[in-house]
Amino acid sequence: MSMQALNHLVARSIVDPSVVSAFGAGDLDPMLCDLGFSGELRTSLSGLQASSWAEFAVLAYRAVQAFETPVSRFQLPSPLEGLRRDADNIGREHVA
Amino acid sequence: MILIAPEERRWFLRNLALGLFEYLGVAEPPVPVEALLRHPPRILQQDLGVVEMYSNLWDATFARLPDQRGSVFVRIDLPSRERRFALARELLRALVTSEHGRAMGLPEILLPELQECAEYFARQLLAPEALVAAYRKRGGGAAQFAETFDLPAPVAASRWDDASVLN
Repeated sequence: MSMQALNHLVARSIVDPSVVSAFGAGDLDPMLCDLGFSGELRTSLSGLQASSWAEFAVLAYRAVQAFETPVSRFQLPSPLEGLRRDADNIGREHVA
Repeated sequence: MILIAPEERRWFLRNLALGLFEYLGVAEPPVPVEALLRHPPRILQQDLGVVEMYSNLWDATFARLPDQRGSVFVRIDLPSRERRFALARELLRALVTSEHGRAMGLPEILLPELQECAEYFARQLLAPEALVAAYRKRGGGAAQFAETFDLPAPVAASRWDDASVLN
């Protein structure tokens, strides 16, 4: 959802100068709020140091991506699966 | 200046193209890129236009006149598909050098890879995600893609590959 909102904001910025003006004035928060960014993400975005709107957009992309990426502990393989893989590899090495 | 990964640059370009596509308000391909150049958003009125020329040297090129008005100069005898792609590609050069584009900081992140950026941007503008997704949903395949979106065959093939990576 936040990435969609960011996409919308960047898309709008090429035809609507008010986005770049708001960024330049350090007053982007009302726009982010209107687009449904959470308070936590808005705080994170407001702390980004960028020399231009385009640079801010890229940094915001990274921040939103990190925010939306699930915590990696759910992606770890189970210990049992890991042992089986090791066992398979050892077997192959012996055969070779 | 920050280092920007190719995927981040492509994401940014997709959204620039999306903004212009949404401005046009079209629901079906082909995207009327020439109408965009002739009737641009207010903020880009001084930067976009189309001038037809006789040339054997190039298909299209963007240039600014001494009064700073910008136009894409396009070969008069180009077939429609090549013309549309050339106009869309040169449109990014117009954006990068426009007052609004400079205020956005476009030159800093796009100039180092401008040719590649311009071609990617053109593919995304002429075949935006929303229209490509709808085309696929209706069962459209690679064979008719170039014709439906009025793209040169190699460009259509690249865009089809771009879409496959994203989907």
